[in-house]
Amino acid sequence: MPDKKTFRGGVHPLHRSHEGKAPTRDKPVREYAADTVTILMGMHLGAPSTPCVKKGDLVKMGQVIGEPVGFLGLPVHASVSGEVVDVGPVQTVGAVPGMAVTIKNDFADEWVDTLEPLGNVEKCDKDKIVPAIKNAGICGMGGASFPTHVKFAVKEGQYCDTIILNGAECETHLTADHRLMLEHSVRIVDGLRAAMRALDVKKGVIAIEDNKPDAIEAMRKAAEGRLGVEVQPLRTKYPQGGEKQLIHAVTGRQVPTKKLPLDVHVIVLNVGTAAAIADAVIDGKPLISRITTVTGHVKQPSNLRIRIGTMIADVVGECGGYSLEPGKICVGGAMTGLPCPSDLIPLTKANNGVVVYSEAEAAATEETPCIRCGRCVEVCPIGLNPYKLKYLCDADDLKGAEENNVMDCVVCGSCSYICPARRFLTPSFKNTKDKITLEAKKRKGQ
Amino acid sequence: MNLHLSSAPHAHSRESTTVLMLNVIIALIPCVAAGVWYFGYSALITVAVSTASAVLAEFIWQKCARQKVRIGDLSAVVTGIIMGLNLPPQAPWWMAMVGSAFAIIIVKCMFGGIGDNFMNPALLARGVLLASWPVRMTAWQAVTGWNSAVDAVAGATPLVNPSVYTRLDLFLGNVPGTIGEVCKVAILVGFAYLLITKTISWRIPVAMVATTFVFSWIFGKDPVTSILSGGLLFGAVYMATDYVTCPMTARGQIVFAVGAGLLVAVIRNFGNYPEGVTYAILLMNIATPLIDRFVKQPVYGHEKGVRKQNA
Repeated sequence: MPDKKTFRGGVHPLHRSHEGKAPTRDKPVREYAADTVTILMGMHLGAPSTPCVKKGDLVKMGQVIGEPVGFLGLPVHASVSGEVVDVGPVQTVGAVPGMAVTIKNDFADEWVDTLEPLGNVEKCDKDKIVPAIKNAGICGMGGASFPTHVKFAVKEGQYCDTIILNGAECETHLTADHRLMLEHSVRIVDGLRAAMRALDVKKGVIAIEDNKPDAIEAMRKAAEGRLGVEVQPLRTKYPQGGEKQLIHAVTGRQVPTKKLPLDVHVIVLNVGTAAAIADAVIDGKPLISRITTVTGHVKQPSNLRIRIGTMIADVVGECGGYSLEPGKICVGGAMTGLPCPSDLIPLTKANNGVVVYSEAEAAATEETPCIRCGRCVEVCPIGLNPYKLKYLCDADDLKGAEENNVMDCVVCGSCSYICPARRFLTPSFKNTKDKITLEAKKRKGQ
Repeated sequence: MNLHLSSAPHAHSRESTTVLMLNVIIALIPCVAAGVWYFGYSALITVAVSTASAVLAEFIWQKCARQKVRIGDLSAVVTGIIMGLNLPPQAPWWMAMVGSAFAIIIVKCMFGGIGDNFMNPALLARGVLLASWPVRMTAWQAVTGWNSAVDAVAGATPLVNPSVYTRLDLFLGNVPGTIGEVCKVAILVGFAYLLITKTISWRIPVAMVATTFVFSWIFGKDPVTSILSGGLLFGAVYMATDYVTCPMTARGQIVFAVGAGLLVAVIRNFGNYPEGVTYAILLMNIATPLIDRFVKQPVYGHEKGVRKQNA
């Protein structure tokens, strides 16, 4: 598959500055362990785990410190060895505080065996792969943090014929996946093979945007001779790494509205998730660290392998500190990143980057009247009419917004990015989607 | 540390409304220059008066209506220049003022300001001037050259008597007409600039001119002369592409442009009136909400047969 595939619509943010990736894309990943880590119990989509350690306990690396709760539950593991200094709520990027376990690192890096290593991914018992993924606490590492084992829960009548590894990294600024593909390409392919074997899938596609030719090359080399694994270059365009856009670009299939990728026989995993699966299956190591890009206005933009639960202030300190007074700090890239209320926020399994913006970059823009230029309609990767939806959302017309398919909005930010009138399109759609979901829940409850 | 918490996206395209309007203004410069070259300084004065009146009218309206003054977005400048370029070169200065004031106050501001007018302001104002002062609006000054101070004798518009002018004259603009429409070279230069800066897409101008070409041919006229005559090119490039009054989707824009092109050919060939561009575009402006309502783009995951095709 040498041709570059893509989807309809989309934008090309920061195209004059290599999507903001230039400062970090050539920087090898550096290990970093902070003095203390604050590990959130609710890092994955689903109910937060219950802490099973208390203040004063001594824990080892990989030890379970949070027990899973419910169907979407995942265990949480200690990412350093040392003493538990606090168990309690801390500030998060979200509106509400989250329960967390704070551990003081003794830098002994002493492991405890929590999982059974299964060895070679091609030969191991394939029925043990999905339980290993669950017990390793793996959730989607691209941002949405959906528990990975649940993606493998194939229902009656469903089947999967393709697993796509998402190495598009279409977000601006981020180079974490890029560096992972360069430095751990074999691990990623091992993880993909493990995932394929777990469900007897014949085809695995590693999809990478063509602004990373070195990563495409590295992954091709690693995929050589591996059963059913191929590399698919994609055109550099945002949101190429969006799940729906990726599936359409690679397979030509569209996920029907309100359905999941498995309904079109596809599972999409981030390349980071695949590497975490390989660590869990081959070595029996739970997910306790990840690569994060720290960039923007920091003195030394870097790619760091951080322990889960490292504070933003600590990673910024490791990168030489702020190069100017920050105006906005976001976890994630410029298109979907979440703004942080302070830098005392712990990083989670899903945080692929920290971007620091200056006051000038962060200053609020003024919303001006829509000039009906149609750019939002042109770039919407779903084919919605953002200009029209905005009027409906502003009028709080939930029914009208739903009829105009607001629930299909993937909140990619393309319309807000391109709008010459600087209208707050994406935020109002996100808001309306949340309201509709809440209304539906209320109706169900009655 | 005082951090902003505004939500994503945290990056914006550099093309603001003002930048887009500035692009249009730059693209109009060749037309203004050509008008001055062919008709003299009076053409420049007409355009200057219409532009100043448009900006002033918007300013006064927004002050009186206690609205936020938005003349900084340059949209009134665009309307004013296009209004001026739509006038015959010998039009008196007060006609330029009346046209601009009507365009801005009645057509634009009274319907809600930028983005809310349902017809192209400059074009409707032209329509009103045509109806109010038909003789002054259609008495064409012969081409006199840039330094002429004489009000030369009026000549016939090429649409009435096409055989008088060669195709080359029509293309270069060596013909009577409104200030902006005569020089096709200038219009094409402006069109190229708008395409390069991605201010407009090729769809409406190309589809509209092509449609007029085809139907003029069918109606037995020389199609090349037809598309080079009158205000077709000027209207297709600068007025039919007005964001506010043309459809939002690519398909809708094609429908709009074909409709306008067809109307031009029909009015020119079967109407009482030699020029049809003004009314063709205005009629399609009115049809735009209807087109937007019925011509939609496919929505991901909703297309017919999505499920079947994937099974």
